[in-house]
Amino acid sequence: MKRRMISALIAAAVSVTALAGCGGNAGETAGSGNGGEGGKESSASGTEGSASGTDAPKAATGEVEKIRIYVPTSGKFDDMDEVMAAINEISREKIGVEVEFKAYEFGQWFQQYSLFLSGTEDIDILANYGGYLNAVSQGAAYDLTELLPEYGQDIIALEGDYLKSGEVDGVQYAIPIYASYAWTMGITYRKDVVEELGLEEQVAAVKTLEDWGAVLEVVKEKKPEMTPIVSMSGNTAPVFQYGTWDDLGNNYGVLMDGGATSDVVNLFETEEYARLCGVMHDWYEKGYSSKDIQTQTDSFIVLTQNDAAFSAIGNGDFNTSFYQTTTCGKEMGTVLIGDPVARTYNNVTYTVMSNTKHPEACMKFLNLWISDPEVGTLVSYGIEGKHYEINENGMGCYPKGQDASSCTYHLGSNLSNINRILWESENPDYADLLVESNANAKKSAGLGFSFNTESVTNEITQLDNVCSKYQVGLECGALDPETTLPVFIEELKAAGIEKVIEEKQRQLDEFLAGGGQ
Amino acid sequence: MGKHRAVKQVKRYGPFYIMALPACIYFFINNYIPMGGLILAFEKYTVSGGIFGSEKVGLNNFKFLFQSADAWIMTRNTILYNLAFIVLGTSISIVVAYLLHEIRSTVSRKIYQTVILFPGLLSVIIVSYLANALLAGDTGFINMHLLAPLGLEPVSFYSEQKWWPFFLTFIHLWQMTGTNCILYLANMSAIDPGLYEAANLDGANRFQCFFKITLPCLVPTIVTLSILSVGKIFNSDFGLFYQVPMNSGAILDVTQTIDTYVYRGLMNTANMGMSAAACFYQSVVGFCLVMITNTLVRKFSSENAMF
Repeated sequence: MKRRMISALIAAAVSVTALAGCGGNAGETAGSGNGGEGGKESSASGTEGSASGTDAPKAATGEVEKIRIYVPTSGKFDDMDEVMAAINEISREKIGVEVEFKAYEFGQWFQQYSLFLSGTEDIDILANYGGYLNAVSQGAAYDLTELLPEYGQDIIALEGDYLKSGEVDGVQYAIPIYASYAWTMGITYRKDVVEELGLEEQVAAVKTLEDWGAVLEVVKEKKPEMTPIVSMSGNTAPVFQYGTWDDLGNNYGVLMDGGATSDVVNLFETEEYARLCGVMHDWYEKGYSSKDIQTQTDSFIVLTQNDAAFSAIGNGDFNTSFYQTTTCGKEMGTVLIGDPVARTYNNVTYTVMSNTKHPEACMKFLNLWISDPEVGTLVSYGIEGKHYEINENGMGCYPKGQDASSCTYHLGSNLSNINRILWESENPDYADLLVESNANAKKSAGLGFSFNTESVTNEITQLDNVCSKYQVGLECGALDPETTLPVFIEELKAAGIEKVIEEKQRQLDEFLAGGGQ
Repeated sequence: MGKHRAVKQVKRYGPFYIMALPACIYFFINNYIPMGGLILAFEKYTVSGGIFGSEKVGLNNFKFLFQSADAWIMTRNTILYNLAFIVLGTSISIVVAYLLHEIRSTVSRKIYQTVILFPGLLSVIIVSYLANALLAGDTGFINMHLLAPLGLEPVSFYSEQKWWPFFLTFIHLWQMTGTNCILYLANMSAIDPGLYEAANLDGANRFQCFFKITLPCLVPTIVTLSILSVGKIFNSDFGLFYQVPMNSGAILDVTQTIDTYVYRGLMNTANMGMSAAACFYQSVVGFCLVMITNTLVRKFSSENAMF
């Protein structure tokens, strides 16, 4: 009886999808999955075909392995084939590997990323933006623990302890890019406006978020056309996305004070959080932020470029003011709230796909990419003379008569931020400052720890939904923390935040006991 | 009887079967084969395991839909909004179609029809910004040019829940009436004009014509379309419910539907199994509702039932 009912139900689902003309997501997911299955087969046979087609037969020792790397970019990649040929000349000789980069525009990338993870495309190395833990939980990331010491010595030498950011439960799944690991909460502001209004001293004296209010007050009065404070990325991300606390991968359970201790606490219940939300609400009430801040979708950068915003809260490190100056095209400054602290950095990582046929080749190429400045520069900026030139300061710039829109190759992606020429818009001392910052920064107790969310997926799904209801509103100041924060905390508890925190603490303790730091 | 009749049937309808063949093949490839993927709803998908080889986890993937405190809210929203859309949508479309039908001049009828149809062609992103231009707190048309000159306090629409059921219903109707009334309009032109002539001779007025002739003739269409809509009652118009409220958290209690919940919850985790489970659940409930509605219709007026 039961079985009959189930089969009836399945038949039911079948005909509904048919009736609906396959508009639903079920059809879509399944459809793409199936299509991919076919794609896998055909691409597999494709690889075989090309392998037998190359002049070096598979059995020979001088065999050249081919791997494919998928990356997102905001740059140009029209001349990809030409640049690849130049890279392959080096890599074939040095490590016997040929690579093929496949680049996607960022928007498209984020739509396709889940599909890439599903393993239905012929990918060997995959870039992960915004964390790689999904790749791990879906079993899409190759276990690199043994390959790394064998073929990745240069990676180990450069990244050292920071490599732990690519570890889960002691298994190396990802190679994080060598970037800035140490940062804290920062307020980015229009430096030219501060100078114009003579506020330099006041700005220099800012130590906490509250202090910033005095600056905003003057700006509101003297610059009525500018919103004194806006959200860094519009309403798509919470305002305190980058806090003085170490969020250990997600905000459900954090280490306060930059990871001074290894006690995982509920951020939303802390006095610090209530205080910050109180400040934002106060500013909202005083009109320092727009009444529409909750639905504002434009980012700070866009608003600044149009002279419509004065400051925003984001992350801050040694390079933020320089970076923001070049992206916004205005003179920008940054006030750091608290000291920069080094934490687990896995925002941009590279993983080897678990269904790759060439894991060794992948590791060898990653190692070459991080250590060989020629390869690093080729991948990022293309061929000298054609896609970039070196200016009198020894920095890269577009060739004469070309700019960002007409240049035919400018991928920008890299594995190490110091293994390439610097672009003219960058801080000339960037490489030295980066190494120094990473070497000398205070370290969070949770540095290198990655939270494995597998056992609490249901809870996190619910928590994400609770947060989408309150977090942005509270952190941008539109909601009154006095009344809303207790409700928020209550709903988080109902959604199981305590279970997540407990699990996080357990994993962190285990990590620390295993000699994590 | 069997064999003889079958041969006769094929002889008689053979060409029709051949004509239907491409569609059948299309549906088989596009809609039936992918259904094997529904197995994902019962699996913890891993790349190495693939679609059919991953670990089976039973009904585990369905848990997240029901565990949440919001389960009731999102189910309620999805069903009530859809009911409102079906009832209001159908009646307004019929009225508009009737009005268009009554216009004698072909030129002006075409113009009106195009104007009504136009909003349906707009991307929901554009619609959301049109709504934003009207509703924004600081710069919105309603606050700046209607309420302020009247000396009324500005309303922050994006944080007050009470407005949104009306806004969303209005926007949906504004968008969809044009496309929906095409079908009714086509049906109305198919009604025998002799009926109207006879009614006119007997002295019936417009209202009587509408209720005694037009409406009864449309009943089969209305019933079929409603049954189809009921089947999708657990699916919501994602663009409308996600984009138009501009992701404002404060009004989530009246804008959250099953689709937006699934999206918000799974956007960060990219969990194949859970997404498949949500869709599977929606399809099964939708199918049951179609069967129930059709059975009821068949019971009360069998000639109008779909099957």
